[in-house]
Amino acid sequence: MYQLKIDDKEIEVPEGTTVLKAARMAGIEIPTLCDHPALEPYGGCRLCMVEIEGARTLQPACTLPVSDKMVIRTQTDKVKDARKFILSMIFSERNHFCPYCQVSGSDCELQNAAYGEGMTHWPIQPNWKPYPVDASHPYFVLDHNRCILCRRCVRACAELVGNFTLGMEERGANTLLVADLGVPLGSSSCISCGVCVQICPTGALIDRWSAYRGQEKDVSSTKTICLGCSIGCGIEVLHRDNNLIKIKGDWDAEINGGVLCDVGRFIPMDEKRNRLVTPMLRKDGALKAATWDEALSVVMENFKPFINKKEHGIAAIASTRLPADVLYYYKQVFEEILGSNMVTSTEEGRYTAVLSEFAEHKGPFESKLSEIHKADTIMTIGLDLTKDHQVAGFFIKRLIPKGTKVIPVSYESSGMDAFTPHSMIIERNEDLAFIQALDAAITGADYSKFAEKSGISSQEITEIANLLDRSKNLVIVYGTDFDAKQKRETVQSLLKLAKKLNAKLISPKGKANSLVAEQLKLNKPFNVNGHKAAYVALGDEDPSQAVIKKLENIPFLVVQASYQSALTAKADVVLPVTTWLEQSGYYITCDGQVQLANKSLQSPVEVKTNKEVVLAIADRLKIIVNPVWDKAVKLENSVVEID
Amino acid sequence: MSKPKVATDWMAGCAGCHMSLLDIDERLLQVLELIDLRASPITDLKEADESGVVVGVLEGGINNTANEHQARLMRSRCKILVALGDCAVFGGVPAMRNFFTIEESLRRAYIETESTVDGFIPTDPELAVPTRVRAVSEVVPVDIYVPGCPPSADVIFHVLSELAQGRIPEIKDDNLHWH
Repeated sequence: MYQLKIDDKEIEVPEGTTVLKAARMAGIEIPTLCDHPALEPYGGCRLCMVEIEGARTLQPACTLPVSDKMVIRTQTDKVKDARKFILSMIFSERNHFCPYCQVSGSDCELQNAAYGEGMTHWPIQPNWKPYPVDASHPYFVLDHNRCILCRRCVRACAELVGNFTLGMEERGANTLLVADLGVPLGSSSCISCGVCVQICPTGALIDRWSAYRGQEKDVSSTKTICLGCSIGCGIEVLHRDNNLIKIKGDWDAEINGGVLCDVGRFIPMDEKRNRLVTPMLRKDGALKAATWDEALSVVMENFKPFINKKEHGIAAIASTRLPADVLYYYKQVFEEILGSNMVTSTEEGRYTAVLSEFAEHKGPFESKLSEIHKADTIMTIGLDLTKDHQVAGFFIKRLIPKGTKVIPVSYESSGMDAFTPHSMIIERNEDLAFIQALDAAITGADYSKFAEKSGISSQEITEIANLLDRSKNLVIVYGTDFDAKQKRETVQSLLKLAKKLNAKLISPKGKANSLVAEQLKLNKPFNVNGHKAAYVALGDEDPSQAVIKKLENIPFLVVQASYQSALTAKADVVLPVTTWLEQSGYYITCDGQVQLANKSLQSPVEVKTNKEVVLAIADRLKIIVNPVWDKAVKLENSVVEID
Repeated sequence: MSKPKVATDWMAGCAGCHMSLLDIDERLLQVLELIDLRASPITDLKEADESGVVVGVLEGGINNTANEHQARLMRSRCKILVALGDCAVFGGVPAMRNFFTIEESLRRAYIETESTVDGFIPTDPELAVPTRVRAVSEVVPVDIYVPGCPPSADVIFHVLSELAQGRIPEIKDDNLHWH
């Protein structure tokens, strides 16, 4: 511990702390621009200059580590003059006229810094050089005129996402933020995660959707979780008068630390589906608005003859985006009370059923997602983390510059290939042969036959086997996109290989409550053969073509959904429900963390929550459901420890 | 003590800052008890007294030779010059045209505008010559900067009442907005 004095305040801080962090610990604010808590210290803008006793010149607080007995002054005239001078220089460089800027008013860190220094004007006027505006990106606009070259976006793109799309070209006053080698953002290698927009201190990178719809001080904010997939990223939902304004990554969230992908940040903003706002009944061939009472009565009337009729009864399928408690109630109602033999989820156990078979005997064998952060070698197989569960992909990509070896295994070139020299493009459906080749290579057996079958040269197999064998913290992130015929065997060999290598296994599974659906055994393939009625609890999910097709000839169809779809068009009864933003409920991440999703928006008046609808059906059946969902979820051994 | 004389004028702006001055509403009466408002664009007398005033207030940036004359005249006749509003302080919205040449701006305004038929750029020698848009401080020294687009009525009231009572107003915290 080091003893310091900051503005006559004594404080003790651990060795290696920067002056900036020490000051914050002491409750002393030092203005910053290029610094951001989620990024490495950079020392680019020089706004955080402080006086250090004994130092000849002012020193940047963000990059300077403290030393023992250091005496720091943050409020002297010299420091204040320097701050004003730096701000004057920044203002003079480009177009920083506030009245016509999107972030002016409270969201601009540059403006806030100027206010903080009591600046009433610019001592140096701008040079009136126009800079280009890049509006080629579908989700955000880059206005170079507002850019202060702090490089936060560049660093976030590299340090947090590992995508390295953004960079700087030229020097001095000609310095310009560029995508790749100077191409428009819209045609660059950008993956639209938007972390650059979230981290920009000025109005240089602005989100199209939320622009000019209110400063952060004018809008309400709800902290919740993203339901885009099973990673469970923390998000902040900004809303105003019940309108969704913006989705931000929650910097304080343990899982993602502020990072989001396009599925979490931008795609929900671009909602184009038509909302269902009232219950509907099919009358004379057409769907007509009805009351909840009428709709539920019709459901009951048509279900009653088929209760307990098994394969001639009621088939039910529910979205894995529904909250855990709702899925448990749904299971009880349809399986136990209505005696249906076909109660499953929209994932039909695609990503999880085969894993559970092993968990039954072995107990939990998967690790927490955060193990990725400690890995020195990572192999991914049976999935593409640049398409789904992208944030897990970011965690992996951003480790590559730090020396972590990443081995993505896929059938065709993927988004990962540009970042690692160890990409393995194997023959389609030959994952098993590839795993067997590695296994044999590690054991010292002959692996040429497997290598040839997998389409990878023996030399490459040796190299990869060596990488895996020599690693100290090996993580295998796997999916189950394997050849259907040998899925079980492939997973089995992978588990065997992982055990041999002492590797941590992580599977991101499917949608938000993939693991819950699996634990509740809502994992059967959805088959409708002779069923007389069907209940589809879609929530805000889109129905798959396969499910629509399977339900083509069902005599009576009930759809519980937020949006109109090809399935609701065919339904006999449509029950309108809340979207993910309009309800709260529990979710369990792919690695077993229980999280609560909070309600951000009010739903239309006639719309009920998914929970209310399932409970209303239970009510009509005169039963009381067991509410203890968390016990039910833990009843069977799971692939990963559930908190 | 006699009431301090105040004069105001507007240049390349939108008159919004003077509107904001009127927005101080019934407090105008308090202000007028403390100051002697001599000339302003919204009163009969348009130019500050030749004998001089204590406070001169300028709204708007300087975008032509006529504005230059107005600014110099006000500066020469006042003791304390106040730049009122973003245009006077920074150049403001009119300064957007500085990113183009004057020829481009004139052509756009007088010839290319969608509603213009047979347009031409006026060349009457009586007219002021357009220049790059400048903040007041680029032409004459300014004593007090009051940014805002426009500065709120409260800020203007604060500035005038401080000046009337012989103090130099400090624009900070909640009163400091560049908009």
